[in-house]
Amino acid sequence: MKFPHLNRRTHLYLGMFLMPWFFMYGLSSIPFAHGAYFEALDKAKGLPLWEPRFEKTYELEIPEQGPLRPVGAKVLADHGLSGTHGTYRQGPNQVNIYIYSFWKSTQLKYFIAEKKLVAEDRRFRLDHFLTGMHAKGGFEQDGFFEKFWGVMVDVVCLGLLLWVMSGVYMWWSLPGLRQWGSVALAGGIATFLVFLLKL
Amino acid sequence: MSKLIRRVHMYLALFLTPWILMYTASTFVMNHRAAFRGSPPAGPEWRTLSESRYEGEFAAGAGEAAMAGQLLASLDLDGAHQARMRNGRLEINRLDPLRPVRITYTPESRSVKVEETVFNGAEFLERMHRRRGYQHEYVLEDTWAMTVDLVIVAILFWVASGLWMWWELKVTRGWGALFALAGMGLFGVFLAVL
Repeated sequence: MKFPHLNRRTHLYLGMFLMPWFFMYGLSSIPFAHGAYFEALDKAKGLPLWEPRFEKTYELEIPEQGPLRPVGAKVLADHGLSGTHGTYRQGPNQVNIYIYSFWKSTQLKYFIAEKKLVAEDRRFRLDHFLTGMHAKGGFEQDGFFEKFWGVMVDVVCLGLLLWVMSGVYMWWSLPGLRQWGSVALAGGIATFLVFLLKL
Repeated sequence: MSKLIRRVHMYLALFLTPWILMYTASTFVMNHRAAFRGSPPAGPEWRTLSESRYEGEFAAGAGEAAMAGQLLASLDLDGAHQARMRNGRLEINRLDPLRPVRITYTPESRSVKVEETVFNGAEFLERMHRRRGYQHEYVLEDTWAMTVDLVIVAILFWVASGLWMWWELKVTRGWGALFALAGMGLFGVFLAVL
């Protein structure tokens, strides 16, 4: 197999394999780019986003400084909950733990002074489902599939880079298209530079 | 038809190459945020550009937006920005892609402090990745938002046209289907478990 042939096949098969990710990133960019529209659309339904699950008295020691992730992990373990989670200080008297999956999310609010824990489930929203998938990444979460997803995000980055390089190679291999292709490429670069300098 | 699809697929990709490279690099940086920006991510580093006294007058009852617009114009920094009152001071963040500027105006002393961020590649890429929407009242901002929409349309078109081109090449149908099924299968597993 010669290089041009290998190049074409790589471009195609990489596209076929990564199609679900590429499609998801494209589709989920719509609610990101038009967030206000989707918010207004949902607001018109008049439904609460969060539905209460439980409220209870709960003893929890919150460190003044340092990472809050172990605190969140303890709360989850105490209540038989698991999944991707993040813990952050909402205010001087409140710590929030956010448990996320593609399909559902739960929020735990701990009020330090009152020693009160409130759990709420988020109603499913298609736009949040898409943006959640789009934003998922990194290697901070525990679990095989959590880290595997992070690896796949890197694979998508590598795939995009290979598409660009193999695409440019295919274009340059067609002498008849070089002129208009150069116009498109140079036009894109120039437009992007204008945005960088003038925005 | 086939030729038209191929040409649009290619020329669109060539034009949008800078956007795709920017989104690729920024995605990689965000996927490895701890490595690039520490954990928790360090905030931007600010460098003072100037400190002066604002001698102009604001209209009676001028709100944050009007005051911010007036101050930015006086500093020749007009452009997309966010403004809010914080601890009795007006803080304006001028959303420059390369070097964001922060202007802090203290009404009591009429002092104006102008700071810019020290350039950081990872922060710059994240800012570019997140820049979108039509919420600012500047034509160039709306034009950028339109290019973001164009990238979205292009991605969906590349998927559709890629499938079309694959199906046209009978010799690649078998392997192509196999790769597509493998990708969809793996994505399905992620959907089920994450």
